[in-house]
This record gives sequence, structure tokens and C-alpha cells, in this order.
Amino acid sequence: MKYILTLFMAFSFQQQVFAVECSAASDATRVTVAGGSITEIMYMIDAEDSIIAVDLTSNFPERARSHPQIGYVRALSAEGILSLDPTIIIGENDMGPPAVLEQINRTGVEVAIVPEEHSVLGVKAKVKCIAEIVNKKIEAERLFEEKLDPAINKLEIASQKVLEKNTKAIFILGLQSGSPLIGGMDTSANGLIEMIGAKNVLSSFEGWKPVSTESILMAEPDVILISNRGLSAFGDVESLRQHPALALTPAAKNNNIIAMDGMAMLGFGPRTIFSALNIANDILDIND
Amino acid sequence: MISRALSLKSSITEFISSKQLLILFLLCIFTFLSIFIAIGTGSYDLSVINFLLGKTSGLQNIVLLEIRVPRVILSAIVGASLGIAGAALQGLFRNPLADPGLIGVSAGAALGATTIIVIGANFFPNLYLGSFLLPVAAISGACFVIFMLYVLTKGFGYQGVTYMLLVGIAVNAIAGVGIGILTYISSDAELRSLTFWTMGSFGGVTWPLLVPAIIIIFISLVFLIPNARKLDLLQLGEPEAYRLGIDVQRVKLSIIFTSASAVGASVALSGMIGFVGLVVPHLVRLIGGVNHKYLLPGSALMGACLMIIADLFSRILLQPAEIPVGLITSAIGSPFFLWLIFRMKRL
Repeated sequence: MKYILTLFMAFSFQQQVFAVECSAASDATRVTVAGGSITEIMYMIDAEDSIIAVDLTSNFPERARSHPQIGYVRALSAEGILSLDPTIIIGENDMGPPAVLEQINRTGVEVAIVPEEHSVLGVKAKVKCIAEIVNKKIEAERLFEEKLDPAINKLEIASQKVLEKNTKAIFILGLQSGSPLIGGMDTSANGLIEMIGAKNVLSSFEGWKPVSTESILMAEPDVILISNRGLSAFGDVESLRQHPALALTPAAKNNNIIAMDGMAMLGFGPRTIFSALNIANDILDIND
Repeated sequence: MISRALSLKSSITEFISSKQLLILFLLCIFTFLSIFIAIGTGSYDLSVINFLLGKTSGLQNIVLLEIRVPRVILSAIVGASLGIAGAALQGLFRNPLADPGLIGVSAGAALGATTIIVIGANFFPNLYLGSFLLPVAAISGACFVIFMLYVLTKGFGYQGVTYMLLVGIAVNAIAGVGIGILTYISSDAELRSLTFWTMGSFGGVTWPLLVPAIIIIFISLVFLIPNARKLDLLQLGEPEAYRLGIDVQRVKLSIIFTSASAVGASVALSGMIGFVGLVVPHLVRLIGGVNHKYLLPGSALMGACLMIIADLFSRILLQPAEIPVGLITSAIGSPFFLWLIFRMKRL
């Protein structure tokens, strides 16, 4: 047993480190994308012609779905991806499994992992990173000038107002055995809530956790954010308002429930900024 | 008395009918056939014949030798070890519901792997074990469970197999609590890794990972198969087997250690793959008979065969994406098993 363990150890040090982070790819003509926000950005910077395949989370824009499907971003298949003959794979930081990426990298296909940070700066960095990799810097500049920067400026003003109102928000992903599944610290939902200037009142825990009825009542959220898919777990907005854990919250009483597409809110591509702006405007309208 | 015992022993066990030999032979052929089909099929376009003629490109060679062949071999040995471990444990516990999961080995391996997935990054940031960290942790988990079982049952001896089964169930539950706690404290990304790990996959296996596993599993098989006749005698009950000259303690020890290490190595590399360990031995019994001299190699071959085919489906059904193999083993195996049971009842 000892011998086998040493054998394991001995081999393990031969591992190579892959991943070009945000440096121009040597050949970005055939790109496999693993991550919805990356696909979104590729389309926005006119790099969609080089996309040859996308993963399951790439559902925006609609026509991105017509590409071959490489499956779930965390369970990629080496041979499946190689069969599409890509020159580079661009993926989000949770792309995996690592062993598969290693196999792919060994065949000479570049593997690029885009860093993820759940903030406005994170989105900007992501766009710049991808533009750098696929060499579309001019198009990215134009995206910033025409769409992103104006939206970011408006979001800054709106989020400042939301902040002044001291808005308390929670994000519900869905139902887990009857309890709402809530985004705590270090989740994309927490990033979104901070982006709109509200306070995530259920952030005493990390990750996504089912939260008890009493804790939600204690938290007294003014606004409930929920993904469309999460909402369908409840039925519709009315049944969500009547859910025992939510019925007595200020958000349900005042009908401050905002439902949107999950990837548009939590993907942390450019759409997240637009969604955040919409949500912030919604909150301001409702509260006025 | 001794000579009578010996003749009884031989009359029960030495016998392996010509029908059973034929079945084993056919299973051998099926296994090799499925290995060839699996190596020749996949989403990447390449032909094995061209490879043998040396007409393939460098990239095609890498895909074949570094990605596809190790994967097929891994699925074969994992299938074989789960099948044979299931057969041996069902024989040892004289319980048709025993499977490699029952003595807690899979749960132990799963606990080891879960620990690494959830808290590994925080505790071993400077350990560049990379893809070896997970298998090593899983094997350590499995070893720890075997060690606990050994200590708790005083060398697997204490009060027979029922006690042992109950201890196994308790150990399973304890490991389950550990996995539950780790799942609860896991972050979003970790949770998704866990979910996929528990469904099993042969993807991403490399030779340096595969070779130690092959060695462990082959050594286990070599130690397991000679126990066949002792397992047959054990079916009479432990005291009877003891009176027939079987060192029951040693049989238990060797079977549990060998199947646990084979299963530990399998789970370490491929995650949790249900169904095969439980049902393959039954399939083999239904088509051929119950004597272990036939059952053990039969279960190994059938397990290998089923697993290779399941992995083939997992690779090609939704290509270029792939389906977790655990889903496929159950999807193929369970209806077939049901059909066999109904057919047997009608006869």
C-alpha cells in the first residue's frame, strides 16, 4: 500500500500547469465555449463566427443553442470535445473535470480559464479578457462605449439611491424539500444584490442553503429576487407570495417580487449589468 | 472422516459443468468483442485499422492511446472488480442483497473523495497532487473503513457474519453523516462536482492513474478466485464449513480485504457506480448456476462486459457531451434483470 501511494505521489509531480489566462490565443479560429456568460460576450463582440460548440448553460442569445452541445460545464468529455477539432477552449473558472482539461491540453488544444468575480468590475474584466483571447479588442471597446459604460453609469446612480433607501433583499434559487434555497455569502446572487445597492439579509452562511421559515421572517426582506425557473417551482408569483415562509415578509405583502431569467441575472456577463439596472429601477419605482 | 469430508468437498466444488464452461467461454468472447467495439467507437473520427497500419495522424494516436484505450480498460477492470466483489461478498454473507457498498467500503471511499472535493482546496493548497489527490483520498477512506471494521469485529471474527453486516451498516451510516455534513457546508461549485462524482464517470483517466489501479485490482482478483470452493462450503453455514476443514477466519479476512481494495480502487477512479456489484452476480447465477468456481469468473467477465457497453453508450449517445455512466448501468441492467426474473418464474 505504501509503495502504491509513493507511486501515486511520484507520478503526480509530473503534472503540467495549463490555462492561458487572458492572453491572446495563438489560434482562435475554432472556439469551444464552456460557460453561458462567455458565449454571451462572444456574440456581443462579434466573435460568434469562431464558435464551434457551446455548453448547456449557453442559452443566450437563442441562436447560440444551434451549436453542437458539449454538455455540462463541470462534466466535459475529452474525446467529445476533441472530435469537434477546436483550436481553443474558453471556459469559466468552474470548468472541469481537471483531468479532462489536462487530456485536452495535451493534444495541443489551448485551454483558457476566464477569471470570475461577482461585481461590475468582474464583468468588465471578463469582457476584456475574452476580447484579448479572441483578439476582438476594437469590438470590445465599441461594446463598452455604446452599451456597457452607459449602463454601468446609470447602475451606479440607481444603486446609490437603492443604498440610501436601505433596501433588504434575498435571492431565491428554488425550493429544496419545501424550504426556499437562498443565496448566501460568496454566491453570484450575493454579488448581484450588492451590485444593485441592496443588502443581502441572509448572508450569514456560505453558498446556497435551504433556509427555515423563521429565519426568513426574521430577515424581513423588502425585495425578493428569484429566477424564472425558481419561480416555476412555486407555481407563479401568487403562490410564491402565499408560501408560508414568505407570506409575512414585507416583500410579499408589498408584492416586491422580481423574477427574471437565471442566467441573465447570475451569469455575470454583460446581461447581469442590464438586469441589475432593471432590478434597481424596479425597486426605486416600487418604493416611490 | 477426513476422507469423507474431502470427497464431499470435491463433489460439491470441483464440479463445473460443461454448460458453465461454455457460458464462461462466451462471456470471454463477449468481453473481448465489446473491448474491440468500444476502442473502435467514439466521437473522435479515427479507425483502429488505420492505426494498426500506421496511417493515423499524431493527434489521432493521442486520442486513441491516451484517451480512449485507458478509458475502455478502466471500465473493464472496474466492472470486473465490482462484479466479482459483489459475488464474493454475497457468498461470504450468504445474503443475496449484499453488495460492495454493504460493508461500507464504497461509503468510506466516497467520504475520502468528498472530503477532498469540499475542503481539500483549503487544507492542501500547496500539495500539487492534482488529479491524484482524489483517488488517494478515496483509497485512504476505503482503507480506514476496512481497518475500523477489522477492529470493531475483532479481526472479522466476532459472532459471525450477521454482526459483521450490522457493523457494516453502522459504518455506512457514519460515513453517510460525514458526506452529508460535507455536502451541507460545500459551496455551489463543490456541490456540483460532488453530484457528478456520485454518478460516476470514466472520463479523464490517464495511464499514470490507471496503472496502479490495474495492479491493485489484478492482485485482488488473483487472491479472490482461489477462494471459490471455500465459498461454496461456507454456504452450508460457518460451523459446518469449519468442520469440513475450512479456516473460516482466514477466508473472511482474505475475501473482505481483497474485495475492499478492488472496490476502493474502482470507486477512487470512477466514482460511485451502482447496480453492477449487486445485480451482475444474480444475472450470472440465473444463466448458469450457483457454484463459485463458475460464479466468480463469470461475474468478473459479465461485470466487465456490461460496464464497457454502458461506458460506450455514455460516450456516444449524446456526443460530444456525455451521460454519467451510473445512469446507464442501471438503465440497461435493471430491465434486463427484471426480464430474467420473470422468465425464470414462468419456466
